[in-house]
Amino acid sequence: MTLLAPLAFAMGLAAAAVLVGLHLLTTRRPPSALLPTARFVPIVDARAVSRASRPTDLILLAMRVLAALSIGAAFAQPVLDAPGPRVRSVVLLDVSSGVADGAAAARAALERLTEGGAMVLFDTAAREVSRDSLGTVLSRSATSIGRAPSADALRPSRGALSPALVVARAAGSRVARGADSVRLVIVSPFTAASFDAATAALRTSWPGGAELVRVGAAADTARAERPRLVTSLADDPLVPAIGQLQPARGAHQVRIVRGIATAGDSTWARGAGSVLVIWPLTGNAALAADGVTALGVHLASLVAPLARLPVPAGELVVARWRDGSAAAVESALDAGCVRTVGVGIPLAGDLTLRAPFGEFLEAMVEPCGGARGVALPDSVVAWLERGTATGADGRRASDSPQVRAARRSATPASLLAATGVPDARLGAWLLLLALLALSLEWVLRRRGSR
Amino acid sequence: MAAGPYGALLDAVGAVRWPARRRVPGGGPGAHQSRTRGVAPEFAEYRPYRQGDDPRRIDWKLLGRSDRAFIRLAPDHAILGTTFIVDASASMDFPRVTVAGEGHRASGKWELAKRLTIALAAVAHASGDPVGLTVISSQGTRRLDPRTRAGVVADIARTLDALVPDGSAPLAPLVAGAASRCVAITDCLGDVEALSAALARHRVRGGEAHLLHVVSRAELDPPSVAVTAVDPEDPRCERPLVVSTREGYRESFAAWRAEVSRRALADGIAYHEVHDDALPEVLVRRIVVPPGGEWRR
Repeated sequence: MTLLAPLAFAMGLAAAAVLVGLHLLTTRRPPSALLPTARFVPIVDARAVSRASRPTDLILLAMRVLAALSIGAAFAQPVLDAPGPRVRSVVLLDVSSGVADGAAAARAALERLTEGGAMVLFDTAAREVSRDSLGTVLSRSATSIGRAPSADALRPSRGALSPALVVARAAGSRVARGADSVRLVIVSPFTAASFDAATAALRTSWPGGAELVRVGAAADTARAERPRLVTSLADDPLVPAIGQLQPARGAHQVRIVRGIATAGDSTWARGAGSVLVIWPLTGNAALAADGVTALGVHLASLVAPLARLPVPAGELVVARWRDGSAAAVESALDAGCVRTVGVGIPLAGDLTLRAPFGEFLEAMVEPCGGARGVALPDSVVAWLERGTATGADGRRASDSPQVRAARRSATPASLLAATGVPDARLGAWLLLLALLALSLEWVLRRRGSR
Repeated sequence: MAAGPYGALLDAVGAVRWPARRRVPGGGPGAHQSRTRGVAPEFAEYRPYRQGDDPRRIDWKLLGRSDRAFIRLAPDHAILGTTFIVDASASMDFPRVTVAGEGHRASGKWELAKRLTIALAAVAHASGDPVGLTVISSQGTRRLDPRTRAGVVADIARTLDALVPDGSAPLAPLVAGAASRCVAITDCLGDVEALSAALARHRVRGGEAHLLHVVSRAELDPPSVAVTAVDPEDPRCERPLVVSTREGYRESFAAWRAEVSRRALADGIAYHEVHDDALPEVLVRRIVVPPGGEWRR
């Protein structure tokens, strides 16, 4: 057990010592002795304080000492140490579809998970799983991760490090209680999709290095056909933009419907690898200066006169407006998916010919769940391993293996547990114990006075 | 009476004489100077002859030389009856355990009171004075009238030995029936004001008053252990005698003793404070010496 405020417990000990000292002083009436001149003794309280060789009222003393120590311990904010090894690990396991061999990744994660450690599974979201449920979760993940979108089309292909690091920091604070140090292990293919704008700041929140286990990424090697545009406008501004698109990575077909999708479109979208993009037309009157960011592999941002169009509640948000509201959502439809884009673009002008719009359009025609297999640069991976605030530029990538090993060493628990919170339940129990002891003391004292 | 528990004490005071503090009224022939003139061989003064004087006391040689008749006067000696009033109240039985043997110091107030009474009685009796005893306790008042017969001191000793101090009774009423020399032996913890006043009246009537204030060493310097002091004559009086009250007790007790002494001396009473750790024979020699070593006329 660790005390976050040991001074409070020291005060409790001091109070207990004072109580023992007081019990060594007795205020009993001294024994009587005949003295003919007693009338000349000053008139004071007949009781006199004297010192005893051993404490008096042992049961009362025990109750009082117990109460003092319990109150001191409660205010000392005790934290129970978790049993297990002194070096514990927090393992972040990427369970997105971007992992080629999920079983191997799971094995690598389990090998590094120590007793008392924490396992965090992450894709676009992160969650900590208990050791008991770990097997079940990993067996389910092993059957899905690394498989083509046709089998689990909307399983996110992006393993986002940012939420994983947030959960890891909280888990690290908890795991650090009672441990000497905590090691951070990240098992992931480290694709470009796993790194976003918040990742750098969140990585520095973990004080120390990390062990990075890079597993194989599921890569889309095939090139998709050019998207097919279904529009009623002869001069739809998307036409030239689609013409400028590079062949997308992935074996999928894309149909962009500018309006309302027909039953035929829906039927077509049920096919394997089919991506139906519903992108309604809008008038120029609704345009206003706005910004939208496409999520996924292509972190494309577009700032232009745009119109916000309603989008249905989808299973996966693939683009957001600058205020965070959904701008494009994706829903599974059998082996394919339907992607609804609520971003109205001007019918005139050269917006669609500009590079930012091209990147945004690339994000909108990605395969279901996003493209896979685009690896992070080594410099960024090295920075993730180092974890210092020098930036993700890889300037220290040339360090020796010994230095790198030292960086991967575990983080002192004191750096993580400083933000730990006391065990409120234990404090409450201690206060309850003190209350019980004081109640017993009161009862014993009343019984003794009768 | 050279044997028994008091033999050594009586031997120690055998040569001690206890002269009267001032001339005694006339009476039977004794060892004390009397206020009257007698016909003793030693000459004192002349007085002109008056009608009624015994013609045999006329100094005829002086008549022949001066042709005037003078009476030759000589100092007269008389006896001085002595009564001992002994306080046998419960407060005198302190400390309770007293084992005093031959040649040992009295170790308690009662033991000291007994020994002083017997020693002073023996001294007075040796001068031919009648000695008597009045002792009061819870068992009543025991009185031995002043006598000059041989066994009176032994009677006094037996009477005192048979008593166990207990209870509480006033001493002042006993003074009225005392002989010319009244010796009160008490710890003054009873009716000391009334006793002092009675002794003062006794002295005004021409008697001689002695007040022997018996104090125990344990009262002057009580044990350092914390106790609840209980007055043996008044069990309701309970006071904690502890470290914080010890000094106050000493101061109050000393002030009270000083006040008793001052009042007694102011009334012309021969006051002596005697401690139970002192030798009785030494105390006797101190008591019998008149102030300044000479008699008050």
